[in-house]
Amino acid sequence: MESLGQFEQVVLTAILALDDNAYGVTIHAKVEELSRPKKVTRGAVYATLDRMEDKGLISSWLSEPTKERGGRSRRHYRIEKSGEKALRESARTAQRLIETIAQTLGGLAWKPR
Amino acid sequence: MEAALNEPPPWLEQMVLLAIPPAARESVAGDLWETYQSPYQYAAEALRTVPLVVLSQMRRHLNPLALMLQGALIFLCLGGPATLLFLPLLMLRDAYQPVTRPSPRRAIREAVLLSSGTMVLLFLFMSRHPPFPVRTGVDAFTWLSLFLAALFLSPFLCLFRAGLIMQGDRRKLLETDHVSKEALTGAYETFLKGAFCRNMLEGTALAFAAIAGFFFTWNTLLIGLFVLAAVYLLLETNPRLSSACDFVSLRAQYQRDLLRQEQLRRCLRWLWFAPVLMALQARLATTATDAQDMVIALLNGVAAAILCYLVATLNREYSGRVQEQIGFLDRMTER
Repeated sequence: MESLGQFEQVVLTAILALDDNAYGVTIHAKVEELSRPKKVTRGAVYATLDRMEDKGLISSWLSEPTKERGGRSRRHYRIEKSGEKALRESARTAQRLIETIAQTLGGLAWKPR
Repeated sequence: MEAALNEPPPWLEQMVLLAIPPAARESVAGDLWETYQSPYQYAAEALRTVPLVVLSQMRRHLNPLALMLQGALIFLCLGGPATLLFLPLLMLRDAYQPVTRPSPRRAIREAVLLSSGTMVLLFLFMSRHPPFPVRTGVDAFTWLSLFLAALFLSPFLCLFRAGLIMQGDRRKLLETDHVSKEALTGAYETFLKGAFCRNMLEGTALAFAAIAGFFFTWNTLLIGLFVLAAVYLLLETNPRLSSACDFVSLRAQYQRDLLRQEQLRRCLRWLWFAPVLMALQARLATTATDAQDMVIALLNGVAAAILCYLVATLNREYSGRVQEQIGFLDRMTER
């Protein structure tokens, strides 16, 4: 199974959260929101989307052209089964990390900020 | 006029459009337009975004085997420094490859330009090196035949391009916007079968060519390339279609395979012509240093240029067809 990098996890989560409205602009906005306070360039998001598409984790298609985009289409993204599986695995790892840190640093009162 | 305030100046947009690789142009330019606030913000955003998009497209179109074969061919023909210069250029060219087939007008213009250029070159050399008295190995008859050949080169190249364009127009594509999953599966299966058969046939032919290369005393590295390509093609298995795939996944898989096969074919087309190109290059090097006969060197150079043009034309036409097909698939929805 494909293991995900940290930024890939963020981008995949953004696509998952956006559901049918996942395209360049919205994905970038969601990724910025999820990676706060770190700034993320849109180019980095495109590069990651391309890479994940090549790995078969996500797939894309073009929508109808719209006027507010100068008559250009949106490239919509969707998570594939393999992407969903990889994201679940990453979430489980993150959960284990949180539990371990909580036990070591501050008992059950500790929470990631 | 209010709308004009919310859109980038045409000259700036044009510059940005030129910088974005065609495969990503539609979506990236649209996203930049959608978030437009001011010309400064638009330019700054484009400067931050486009380099990464170019790098991503370079990585996306990178086929290590194809690049290795191309690098080896350039190394054999032009040497090490040229290889170091050409490889990044080839990668950049791949990133910027057009997503449509070349237009008939442009194709014919290129053919006419090449043949006229050849004629002008021959004419200039004929005026500087008169055929009488006879020069080393090139008599008046040879000159006349070469000039006539150059004269007929133009219609020949135009016919060649026209033939390719017509062949491309006749091919059957799933060009409708709404297609059922079964129809897409059928088209994908046909493509996979065709690619598998072609790989087997071409792999066998390459193996035979490599054996022939031993008898014709080809360069060892070139024989090695033929063997490598043959083994790669013969070992390539036919990927199985997953029945659990939905329409979108199937389409993505189809697009990936289309692109991969075309990258392979592009490289193989150059490989098939490599022995001739290398022979011409060897003759060019010999005549330029030993006999100092620039006339023969020129003729060999012209022949090599025409051959390179033919291969590049084939590659552009077939690559354009594949990119066009990928574009159709991108816009397709499930019926």
